[in-house]
Amino acid sequence: MRLARPARLTLITTATVATLALSACGSSSGSDGGTAAGAAPKAGGTVTYALDVEPTCFDLQVNPQGITADIERGVVDSLVTVDAKGAFHPWLATSWKVAPDLKSYTFTLRDGVRFTDGTPFDAAAVKANFDRIADPKTKSQYAATLLGPYSSTEVIDPHTVKVSFTKAFAPFLQGASTPSLGFYSPKSLTRGPDALCAGGSSIIGTGPFVFTSYTKGQSVTLTKNPAYNWAPQQSTHTGAAYLDKVVFRFLTEDPVRTGAVTSGQVDIATSIAPSDIRTVEADKNLSIRKLQDPGGSYAIYLNTTRGATADVKVRQAIQLGTNLDQIIKTVYFGQYQRSWSPLTPSTPAYDASLENSLKFDPTKAGKLLDEAGWTGRDAQGYRTKNGKRLTVDWPWNPPHTREQRAVVAQGIQADLKKIGIEVSHPALDIGAFVALAGTGQYDLYDFSWTQSDPDILRGFFNSASTPATGGQNAANLKDPQVDEWTEAGAATLDKAKRTELYAKVQRQVVLTDAAVLPVYVPTKLVVVSDKVSGLTVDPNGKPLLYDLHRA
Amino acid sequence: MTSPLSSTSAEVGSSAADDAGVLPGSVGLGEPAGRTGPHRLSGRVVARAVGRRLAAAVAVLLGAATTAFVALQLLPGDPVAIILGPSTMASPQVRAQIRDDLGLDEPVVLQYLHYLGRLLHGDLGWSYQLQQPVSDLIGDQLMPTVQLALAALTVAVVLAVVSAVATAGRHRALRAVASFWELVSVSTPPFWLGILLLTALSFKVRVFPVAGAQGFSALVLPALTLGLPVAGILGQVLREGLETALEQPFITTARARGLSQTAIRARHALRHATVGLVTLSGWLAGTLLGGAVLVEKVFSRPGIGALTLQAVSSRDMPVVMGVVMLSALVFVTISTVVDLLYLLIDPRLRAD
Repeated sequence: MRLARPARLTLITTATVATLALSACGSSSGSDGGTAAGAAPKAGGTVTYALDVEPTCFDLQVNPQGITADIERGVVDSLVTVDAKGAFHPWLATSWKVAPDLKSYTFTLRDGVRFTDGTPFDAAAVKANFDRIADPKTKSQYAATLLGPYSSTEVIDPHTVKVSFTKAFAPFLQGASTPSLGFYSPKSLTRGPDALCAGGSSIIGTGPFVFTSYTKGQSVTLTKNPAYNWAPQQSTHTGAAYLDKVVFRFLTEDPVRTGAVTSGQVDIATSIAPSDIRTVEADKNLSIRKLQDPGGSYAIYLNTTRGATADVKVRQAIQLGTNLDQIIKTVYFGQYQRSWSPLTPSTPAYDASLENSLKFDPTKAGKLLDEAGWTGRDAQGYRTKNGKRLTVDWPWNPPHTREQRAVVAQGIQADLKKIGIEVSHPALDIGAFVALAGTGQYDLYDFSWTQSDPDILRGFFNSASTPATGGQNAANLKDPQVDEWTEAGAATLDKAKRTELYAKVQRQVVLTDAAVLPVYVPTKLVVVSDKVSGLTVDPNGKPLLYDLHRA
Repeated sequence: MTSPLSSTSAEVGSSAADDAGVLPGSVGLGEPAGRTGPHRLSGRVVARAVGRRLAAAVAVLLGAATTAFVALQLLPGDPVAIILGPSTMASPQVRAQIRDDLGLDEPVVLQYLHYLGRLLHGDLGWSYQLQQPVSDLIGDQLMPTVQLALAALTVAVVLAVVSAVATAGRHRALRAVASFWELVSVSTPPFWLGILLLTALSFKVRVFPVAGAQGFSALVLPALTLGLPVAGILGQVLREGLETALEQPFITTARARGLSQTAIRARHALRHATVGLVTLSGWLAGTLLGGAVLVEKVFSRPGIGALTLQAVSSRDMPVVMGVVMLSALVFVTISTVVDLLYLLIDPRLRAD
């Protein structure tokens, strides 16, 4: 076996690294990966973090993928941080003033912050970043939406900056807490879009980690920024991060990610398939964290302007005729929670009173269909009206359908068949799908959305946000009250008032308009080895690597 | 796969030797298939073969480019909406900017001519999603795939030859064992095979790293996964060829000369059976390129397959078209090499 020799050489190296990692864990069995009590965590070491998606582009200001922001949360800092209750705290901004009309925000910036290329972080840097995001030439697909009706940024002095909007814009602070509105060094912004997109050392922030390298198809390496001294107050320590290095590995196959973490080849693995959870649970060295995404639930939007679903009774029948409890439990092995609102429970202003409001009731669903005039039956048992079968169109595009959603759809299809509704669920290629979606030629449309501000309800249900204009109002809802409430919510920072307004919107669109059937709460199952601890996740759903350390 | 050259392979006399331009280093073949005298590989034959092949190659590449372009035009839906995907918040201004940057407002004919013009200059365009030149992307990702393909090819050829030479014309039980493993390896989906190998040799017993392209140990499992199904097919074809060859009169002659069983198989019969094997290599190249997509995904290796998958799923058409051109080029190159190899292996094909 001549082949064995070179193989073994490399193996020894790999094994040595693994043993180091193992011996570092020493006697700490039993801690559950939370904040370790007792002695201060040891600095140093490397953590390997397996991700399920590889970004196409690393430029946060252009790329809309959540994974890009997950990776770069450790590289860029934001003006403010947000806590679980939706309150904002200082970070790169020590304080801020909001104009009463909510058309401008003035930030006082922290002193002594530097980008890792040595450039000081100041008002000009804020302006350079925001101006670039808002410039149509940048082709920002997501960050620009967080700036909303942006008009300009004004440098008042090196440490004071005023961001202005053309109309009242309450969601700005929320956006400003995300990595998508984090800051790149003004010097790196001049390197051109291809350099930033390619990642690596062109991505320069002020964060606790430096983006050191990217190997396409394989990994991203972040190394410690030793000069870091401006962590937000919620962190458990100050100064530089504990770890010397964080390696993100792209393991896009579910079983491979599970195998890598159970065999100890990576320390953390995200998005573990619910079907693999039993394997992981059996391993005492691993703990499972369930992270519910903030934002829009995975939900089915019922087109209020087309075909049979234009009748509210048919939409209510669809809501009541699907046994979602059973479907979600079966398909996701009890790991995902059924959703009751278009917002997920971890989103501020989530209305918990909606829970259990849509009970599975096929009899009532049948009665509603009778009332709607769908009283006939054809040979296949489907309901008919004036000789026409009750069919709803639900096109889908397989490459954009994750998490066994196609199986959920089969369950819904089977349930609705029992009450006499035929669901036509054609798999379309992306071109045909986008063409149908853009022109509203569907009865049902499904998606989920990650963004931690209830203002997304304006995108989902405001009549100005139709798919034809690039909006997400897939139900094509035109409800003047919903319009009024969502616009009022975007124009106030009063938390109590926003909560009240958005609760009304949620109840209205689910119960009165029946424009949406919430399905499940998108959940990331993150598996963490007991060799590391201190992993926290911010309310935007982004992993915070700053307090992470080897146990 | 029949090559244009093989159509000239009818019975030939021994005239090739007195061609004017005999190559000084022309290959003298020892003991060919028996009946005719030794033919020399003449310069003219080779030059003409190469010239004809080059012209055909250009035509194939032009055809591939045109087909890819037409396919792109036939995709239903607005290209900008396709690039952005279904869940997008991009503003109308951003959409207009993308449309403008891609020159989508130009007439299709102009777009086609521009595309061909850029191709002539070796410019494969600019990736929509990765914001990098396509030629750089392909250039960067080529080496890992070439390594993988060569390793897989080695695995396949070695396994096939060993299995075929050891079992052809031997005891029925032995042959049954060989055909069984060949059948299993051909029918196992590479995707599943990869997961099985990983589970056994990386997750349960940590012999090989889970994934990546760091060094030799990370190449073993991917090469096996990609190579085994190919080995199965090659093994079957080769054994069939060997068994046919072993029944030929020249084998009897060789045996009469007192050669050992192994020498007969390795030196005489194997060479005879190789022609079929070489013919298969065009198909083989396709298998390796297509298989690389799956294998690189399972083992999280960088490479052309991973790039293709990412480009297809993120609707990155310039990259997809670049990969189409690359595959066309690979196929043309391989079939040219195969045709030249025929000349080397089988002297009967060296007619003028």
